[in-house]
Amino acid sequence: MIEILMVMGTVPGRVAVLTDALEQFRAKGVIVRVATTFDPVENTPAATELAEVHRLPTSAELGSRFVRMAKRANPARRPWLRAQRDPWVRRHAKRADVLVALDAHALHTVWHLAQRHRRADAVYGIAPALRAVEKRSADPARYRRPRLNTTGPAPVVLASATRSQTVDLAKRVFEMSTGKRAMKLGPVRWFWQGAVTAPGLPERHRGRIARRVTGNMLESGHAASAKRLALAAQGRLGPTTRGPLLDPIVDAELSQGKVSEHLMTVVRSHLKLADGFLKKRNPGKAEPHVLRAFNLMFHRIVQFDGTTSPLAEDPEKFLAPLHDSEAGRAMAAPRGRQSPAAFPPAGRPHRMLFFTGLNDNFLGPILDRYEAMPGVEVRRLNLREESILPVLSNGRTNVVQHLLAGSSKRADEVQEAWGPHLDWADTVFVDWCNLGAAMLTMIDPGTTRVVVRLHSFEAFSWWPHLTDWSRVDDLVFVSEHLRDLALAAVPRLGAPQGPRTHMINNAMELHRYVTPKVSADSRFTLGLVGLSSLAKDPRWALAVLRELRRRDERYRLKLIGDALDPKLSPAIEAYVRELDAELAELESSGAVVRTGRTDDVPGALTDVGVILSTSLRESFHCALVEGAASGAVPVVRDWPFFAGRPHSARTLFPSDWVVGTPEEAAERILALTASEEVWREAGRAASAHVLSTWDWSVTQKDFDRLLLEPPATAD
Amino acid sequence: MNNGRTLWDSLKLPRPRRSGARPHLVYLAIGFPPAAKSCAYRMRETANQFAAAGWDVTAVTIADEAWEREHGLDHTLSQGVDPSVRVVKLPLFRDDLETDIRSFTEQRALAHKDYLAELRKQDLKVFPEPVFGGWRPALEKALLQIHRERHVDLLVTTCAPYVNLAATWKLWETHRVPYVVDFRDGWSVDVINNGEAFFRESVSGQWETKLLTAAVAIWNVNEPISRWYRERYPELAHKMRVVRNGYDAASIPAQVRPAPPDRPLTFGYLGALTLPVPLLDAVLQGWRTARAEDPALADARFEVRGHIGTGWARGANAHAELLRAAAVDGVLVGGSVPKAEVVDLYSRWDAVVLMVTGGRYMTSGKVYEYMATGLPVVSAHEADHDASTVLSTYPLWTGAVGLDPAELTSAFRRAAAMARAADAAEREKARAEARQYAREEQLIPAVREVTELVLGAGGPTAPQSSPAGARVLAREGRS
Repeated sequence: MIEILMVMGTVPGRVAVLTDALEQFRAKGVIVRVATTFDPVENTPAATELAEVHRLPTSAELGSRFVRMAKRANPARRPWLRAQRDPWVRRHAKRADVLVALDAHALHTVWHLAQRHRRADAVYGIAPALRAVEKRSADPARYRRPRLNTTGPAPVVLASATRSQTVDLAKRVFEMSTGKRAMKLGPVRWFWQGAVTAPGLPERHRGRIARRVTGNMLESGHAASAKRLALAAQGRLGPTTRGPLLDPIVDAELSQGKVSEHLMTVVRSHLKLADGFLKKRNPGKAEPHVLRAFNLMFHRIVQFDGTTSPLAEDPEKFLAPLHDSEAGRAMAAPRGRQSPAAFPPAGRPHRMLFFTGLNDNFLGPILDRYEAMPGVEVRRLNLREESILPVLSNGRTNVVQHLLAGSSKRADEVQEAWGPHLDWADTVFVDWCNLGAAMLTMIDPGTTRVVVRLHSFEAFSWWPHLTDWSRVDDLVFVSEHLRDLALAAVPRLGAPQGPRTHMINNAMELHRYVTPKVSADSRFTLGLVGLSSLAKDPRWALAVLRELRRRDERYRLKLIGDALDPKLSPAIEAYVRELDAELAELESSGAVVRTGRTDDVPGALTDVGVILSTSLRESFHCALVEGAASGAVPVVRDWPFFAGRPHSARTLFPSDWVVGTPEEAAERILALTASEEVWREAGRAASAHVLSTWDWSVTQKDFDRLLLEPPATAD
Repeated sequence: MNNGRTLWDSLKLPRPRRSGARPHLVYLAIGFPPAAKSCAYRMRETANQFAAAGWDVTAVTIADEAWEREHGLDHTLSQGVDPSVRVVKLPLFRDDLETDIRSFTEQRALAHKDYLAELRKQDLKVFPEPVFGGWRPALEKALLQIHRERHVDLLVTTCAPYVNLAATWKLWETHRVPYVVDFRDGWSVDVINNGEAFFRESVSGQWETKLLTAAVAIWNVNEPISRWYRERYPELAHKMRVVRNGYDAASIPAQVRPAPPDRPLTFGYLGALTLPVPLLDAVLQGWRTARAEDPALADARFEVRGHIGTGWARGANAHAELLRAAAVDGVLVGGSVPKAEVVDLYSRWDAVVLMVTGGRYMTSGKVYEYMATGLPVVSAHEADHDASTVLSTYPLWTGAVGLDPAELTSAFRRAAAMARAADAAEREKARAEARQYAREEQLIPAVREVTELVLGAGGPTAPQSSPAGARVLAREGRS
């Protein structure tokens, strides 16, 4: 009687085919046994009724030593490692006439069984198994005759066993000597530093060893050794291996609030790896490297939590690795639109669609105006709605995948979710150049005009690099210096297919801030509104205060707004520590008052005589302008991120408002608060200036021109 | 990479026949009988027609064992081959379809997919065609050896595989042997997705351009493909000719009668199941609903005959799973049918189901055979399909309804009504419509044209036109 031993490495997708084959074998009088790597009763109950089905011993049954060994082994070898230790398999493989692999995961196990039992046929698939059975049935005598070449195991088995045992031993030694425990020993760390820099070691091994060793050094608390080793190995590694080795070191430094000097080496390496995958037409594998490069380049420690930013200092140079990479070029490729944006036809209302829900802080007056305006129909697309959220989920990853591949399923989903809204609208207004804008430009907007407003933080983020600007008609900035920065950082904004750019100040209803000051002594109260980011730099205000109090102790500082959250980053934590130390002394003497957050800012400003802008960077600084509207004398630090540029705080505000140092600020304050009359006059002039320049009653005309009139050329 | 190379040195070609002044034609036809492939019918008739036209024909194909890995063998096909045709079988095998695990290396057993990917990569380095590209050196060597043994006057190459073109070019390049390319479904046209398979500037594009430029004649199986090539190579338009697949009269029953009212209907499909799984699923859904809704189909059966899957997946792929699950709906899977027994199959079927992939560039061979039976035809293919063009004048056709299961349900119901109601006159009218597509009728003019082009008007022997199928019937001992 013919006996078959089948092996299944995965749950079969086609159970009917399997049971049909088992029935055929049974009809031929063949004994069939099946070994599976999974639970057959649960996954193939029908097969258990037609054959003797046996599950290979599990890792839990084989013990912890096996688990460790299996973990080290190539995953494809694991079924065989289990089968090898199974007496049931050994017994029935010895008796089998035909050994059958039913799927690719079972091939290796059957290959090994075939080497050990050379009398049996060893085939892949059901039809070949049936053929083998037919052949044996047709000439049983031929297969009974013993032959030299089918007796005993193949010599290759012995060689293979010795080789795999040796390999396993070598792996165990390597794992132990590079593990966390070993890295606590100085001589071991010294040894590996020498080993990874030794000549002649192939790069893939050098890179793999160095990565494991540095990783475990970091985890065992030896960051300095890890950095030393990674740097020592750099000279012997190619550009794509260098970066991943420095990756954990850069991460460790960022987590301490430091910008690593090797940051851009790692960025370049990831972009190069991404380029390699793109060349092989594998955008899926390129995407994680692009995301990693973005995470590093636009990390908050790098761009937001320092007194300067490499992007603001030299945008072209900082972003050159991105723009010069294949991945950067793929993401920058304009997809364009099939039809140009059309101005709404006469005879029906102008339909405007506003993206809302993510941050509507600066949208209120604009929405109110157009919702109340005859001849305009407004709809809001709330991106926080449950029906929209799935489209936005994992948004950045999906946008990157889409841009690298040129198409994506997510784009179809965006089309399905947002397409009807776009079809309805004549104009879509997207406040903030972030996820909403990037996802919107994944699809062709048809004839709808697309307007995007970029405030400030977005220019220091990846979003402008993930937005297809050939599908945006108008890009609005709130200040000229932000426009300069964005144009330098994203060169395709200036390309022929790029959007028209406009500068329109924020919509602010300033009249509600015009309230009388409580007393003449208010002139000695400096005010700083908004403290929740490190960029506001309240310590600069303290420097001004100290300078003033050195001359006149009546000056005090009122801090309005939420305090900085030290948990946001180690850099903020360090800043808050120093700020708190300074405040401890000044608060106790009553020189500084912290009011916290208030909903009544006009009320809080009634006793503020001097309004400060101490920020490192701002796009416009509404709080300063609101303070000036209240009659407080404005004093503006020349925001360091933009100081000395063609456009800066000095070109945005009247030049006498802007100062370079705390000493200059103190001089201006002393001069303008010398007497009540001087102070009130200066306050009145500042208030008149802001109301006539930036009040919504003035700036709304710019919005009307942008949104209601046929597009003109760029400002 | 392929077993053929190692076996090559021991290859002994059959002795060339010397028939006086008859010119020598080599027919490079991988898939020649006894390969159980649908292309074998066209190849058999092509060789026979050239033999009848006065050529000494040497057909070059691959070893019988190689077909065992694919769809198997049908020795009844060889019975219809003209005895004067010499068949050379090269020891070339598809390594990707190997199922003997003993022949695997451990690395292949460990990472089978990677091995296959690498194999394809290596094939592409030799010739821009995965799977077959690696056969190029062996094919080139074989043709040169055949030419050395006896001068070749004409080479007829039929694709696929397209690697045949490399060997064809070799013989042209070294010995200026004129050649005809029987392109059948073309190369640069993607007949499945209705578009361009590759650019003219690509490696494949460059091969195609140079091969077609020097060819004596270029044949295609239908007008849309021929038009594609005429538009792609307008300077070569004069060489293009449509040579439809047609049908073999020997496979068609002499008479088809309406189904008796007391017998359940039998629908049939004959052909390799290489169509997309969703297409088969849609047909089975349509069939299930029709059977449930229409009393005329209550006990009806749907017999599916043909090869399912290749290599390790033979009889064990998604198609097989779907068909077995449909057994409760009266779907029977009967395996492949020897060519000589096809006539019996059609005799007991009441209607046929034409399941074909592709679109406007695809016709398939079975559409002609189905028409010739005079049975009602249910079309299960895209509406914009060349089979629709061919069937448009066939009176017992249920129409091109696309692949919507609900529409297919209606088509099955219409076919059931036709199977019961169509009388002998209607069936005869339907069969008469198909007669123009007899295989011989398609090939004789093309063979005559090529013969005259290569040997001059008159040629050695002009092929005798005979009533469609009579020659094959006679050869197969049937009347």
